[in-house]
Amino acid sequence: MTRTVLAIAIAVAGFALQAITYLFLATPIGKPTDESFSNPRVPFAPLLFILGVVLVFVAAVVYELLPDRGRVQEHEPEG
Amino acid sequence: MAQRASRLPYGVGHVSTAWIVSAVLLGVVALAGWYGWSREISEGMIVTGLRNIGPMGGATWGFDIAFVVYFVGVSFAGITVAALIRLAKLTALKPIARMAEALTVVALILAAFAIMYDLGQVWRGIVNLFRYARPQSPFFGTFTLVISGYLTASLIYLYLDGRRDAAICARVPGRLQRFHRLWAAGYRDTPAERARHERASFWLAIAIVPLLITAHSTLGFVFGLQIGRPGWYSALQAPAFVLLAGVSGVGMLIVIAAIVRRTIGDHEQLPDEVFRWLANALLLLLLAYLYFMVVEILTNVYTGAERERDVTRELLFGDFAPIYWASVACFVVSLGLLVARFLRTGPSIGLLVTAGVLVNLAAIGKRFLIVVPSQTHGTLLPYGTGSYAPTWVEYIEAIGLLGLGALLLIAFAKLFPIMPVRDGDAA
Repeated sequence: MTRTVLAIAIAVAGFALQAITYLFLATPIGKPTDESFSNPRVPFAPLLFILGVVLVFVAAVVYELLPDRGRVQEHEPEG
Repeated sequence: MAQRASRLPYGVGHVSTAWIVSAVLLGVVALAGWYGWSREISEGMIVTGLRNIGPMGGATWGFDIAFVVYFVGVSFAGITVAALIRLAKLTALKPIARMAEALTVVALILAAFAIMYDLGQVWRGIVNLFRYARPQSPFFGTFTLVISGYLTASLIYLYLDGRRDAAICARVPGRLQRFHRLWAAGYRDTPAERARHERASFWLAIAIVPLLITAHSTLGFVFGLQIGRPGWYSALQAPAFVLLAGVSGVGMLIVIAAIVRRTIGDHEQLPDEVFRWLANALLLLLLAYLYFMVVEILTNVYTGAERERDVTRELLFGDFAPIYWASVACFVVSLGLLVARFLRTGPSIGLLVTAGVLVNLAAIGKRFLIVVPSQTHGTLLPYGTGSYAPTWVEYIEAIGLLGLGALLLIAFAKLFPIMPVRDGDAA
């Protein structure tokens, strides 16, 4: 359950980062009227967008690699 | 997976003399490509045949960009096949899933190199793409999203899909045991882990398909949305890019699968049915692409604007005609071979490999023809026609990339099973 929730949370965070970057941080959308349309509103906003894409796929790695709770306990030292 | 294996499957870890000779030769070819790149970095773009459009009568995109488009196209079919095997449950194609995934990763690495070859100021280019690129622009989708997002997605898919086999290989004592153990990351092939992997791969495949369609369409849009560039501005560019990507990628997969089958000599693991599927897919894609080509040429010749007709005339009868007709000939001969195989209903691996090689040669030719003629002959401004001829630096860079790609693939095959391991294969 924790695994699924965590994976979904990471994927949602990835999509959210893409949407926020695209709409609010990257170069403004629309017909250019002044020089503010030339550059992203936040430096390296395109990199943030890509990180969002990468996060969505990292969710699959987290989902598969997160150890089972029972397995973690199995390896915990006694006492 | 309970038994302890004594040797790795499919020749993993076994380095023969033939392999060493091949690796050294391919390494030399790759190094030659990097030498060409070093000339470009130290002396500037003047060592290439690239010149400014218009006043300098040249083309700013040439051989390197043609190969970017080609390599990204090849990567498309690899991951598409891998994702379709999962989504459509195409169990017949399962033996080539790993090859397809590896092909995608390698092709994307080569595409990244080709982009760097094309950039005069390499690091400035890379930093600026991440700093200033507009996510709304097709350039962003192609040169940034494809190489980073798409490559990451493909690497993750390859990694997760290989964990079971890594766990099997990790049971074999040897120099690669640590590497395989690291890859397996504690995988024990329990029913719960299998079910989890099935679910994760399914959703991963679902997420990859729209990403790759977007990535390849935007690659087409880079050209197709340029309203002031006759020869590029066309609604057909994006779907034609996707189709030709499928043609070249499936052709390359046929070649790789045939080489693997011959090398490991296991016809049972790579049965004729795999090649039949690939051949039929290639036949359909090729027919669809040829239809697009005919439609495009007919439209331009029949009702195209003046400059549009100039570019088309140049393709059909001008300086670019030899490349154009050679590409068409390669496509038509491949089509003939595929139809002959279809009618014979036999495997005819030799015919298929020939078709696979020919469609790839034709795809490189077509990518070159998409990139260059519109720059030298498609300007709407009052400049004369330009010209572009690649220099030895560009040729050696492209050949070096092909060598590097082959080297990466044969190296991968020695580190990790190139096909999914069957129970007992590693015993």
